[in-house]
Amino acid sequence: MKTSLIIGSLLTATALTSPANADKLDDIMASGTLRCAVVLDFPPMGSRDADNNPIGFDVDYCNDLAAALGVEAEIVETPFPDRIPALVSGRVDVGVASTSDTLERARTAGFTIPYFAFTNVVLTREDAGVEDFDGLKGKTVGSVGGTFEGIALEDNVKEWGEGSFRPYQSQADVFLALSQGQIDATVVTSTVAGSIVASGKYPGLTIKGDAPYAIDYVGLIALRNEYGLLNYLDLFINQQTRTGRYQELYGKWVGGDAPDLTVPNVYR
Amino acid sequence: MFNYTFQWRQALQKLPQLFDGALVTLQIALLSMVMGILLAVILAVARNSKSKLIYAPATVWVEVARNTPALFQIYMAHFGLGSFGIHLSPFVALLAGITFNNAGYLAETFRGALRAIPDTQTRSARSLGMRPLQAFRLIVMPQMFRIAFLPTTNQMVWAILMTSLGVTVGMNTDLAGVTQDINVRSFRTFEIFTLAAVFYYFIAKAVTIGARLIAWRMFRY
Repeated sequence: MKTSLIIGSLLTATALTSPANADKLDDIMASGTLRCAVVLDFPPMGSRDADNNPIGFDVDYCNDLAAALGVEAEIVETPFPDRIPALVSGRVDVGVASTSDTLERARTAGFTIPYFAFTNVVLTREDAGVEDFDGLKGKTVGSVGGTFEGIALEDNVKEWGEGSFRPYQSQADVFLALSQGQIDATVVTSTVAGSIVASGKYPGLTIKGDAPYAIDYVGLIALRNEYGLLNYLDLFINQQTRTGRYQELYGKWVGGDAPDLTVPNVYR
Repeated sequence: MFNYTFQWRQALQKLPQLFDGALVTLQIALLSMVMGILLAVILAVARNSKSKLIYAPATVWVEVARNTPALFQIYMAHFGLGSFGIHLSPFVALLAGITFNNAGYLAETFRGALRAIPDTQTRSARSLGMRPLQAFRLIVMPQMFRIAFLPTTNQMVWAILMTSLGVTVGMNTDLAGVTQDINVRSFRTFEIFTLAAVFYYFIAKAVTIGARLIAWRMFRY
């Protein structure tokens, strides 16, 4: 009787104290579910198939991560502007959401090493009279507000002092506005541009050359203070690359050679 | 449990931008109210008309404006009309959407006010030799505005808050647009939305208090 009481209270004490020491990584493994924020209107990184199931590079990447952790993956559809709010409010554990690692964002969220790299192109309509990036001067352009290329393009428009910039809430709205003629062009990652032109959903859209922006490295995101989780994620990305899984997924969703994830002459 | 560190300094640095946004918000709300009132007077009179040709379109307007979300009305003005090659800029689409909505609600307010004015007012005016339009303009309308004054200021507050829906059509100069712009760059969501909410609160409050003062000066016995 006495022994069981002691064992019982010991168990209770362990149950009460252990969560205090556990970090996010422990929480994920204990819960058995990894909740990933993924943007699903950003093909080929994330979109939905005919049966409305999430598919794409980021979806597969999240599934791989969950498998490595030995848990189930749960894809939480998250629009671009909501990625870090979803993280901070505890709705998701990590963001596998093509998040550019800007220093301003890194004040709020914790970034891993890059897991993907984008280049940007000019996407326009055949009848818009835009031949290359310089042709955007004086035109009405748009992009998803607050994205890497959106911020760069808005700054360009301010610098040029002519034309105007419109930030939309989602990539789908940008394509709709472009195909309707509300805007003349957008700057968007080459992967998305290629995928949207190939899909044939928006006839008349065409790619007109590269945008002269720095390579857009994107990282996974987690809470800034979750070092255990961030360390794990860094190693996971490293493993994905060295095992060839990164190239495999790139070939599956984008095609061709996967871009280098390292910047010459500097660490990280 | 909850591990959020507040960064108020970062948010407070954006106050000048928020202030500029607030001015645009007020400007859109005011414009949409002026146009809304003009349209609403016409709609209210049309709704009292005996001719089906005049009555029906006004009724459709009021029904649609009052029974569909303002968000859809604004989205339709931008992307809906865009499908047919009619391009309204985000500013115009937002203004059109809110004005459409305002006119619908105000028309009902004005119609109610018209009903509250006894027929004898018009008849007395007519017996004094006024023409029908004169009687309406000089006798009925002032009374209508007086009865509808406070509900109209409510609508003004509503119009201010509705401007925030402009972000869905790419509006980035009003208070909500500026707020969202700062939010997606810095992700200090809680702080920046709190500051913006304070702005909205004080604009709305200022309108209400201003309206009370005007009502007190104009309508006291």
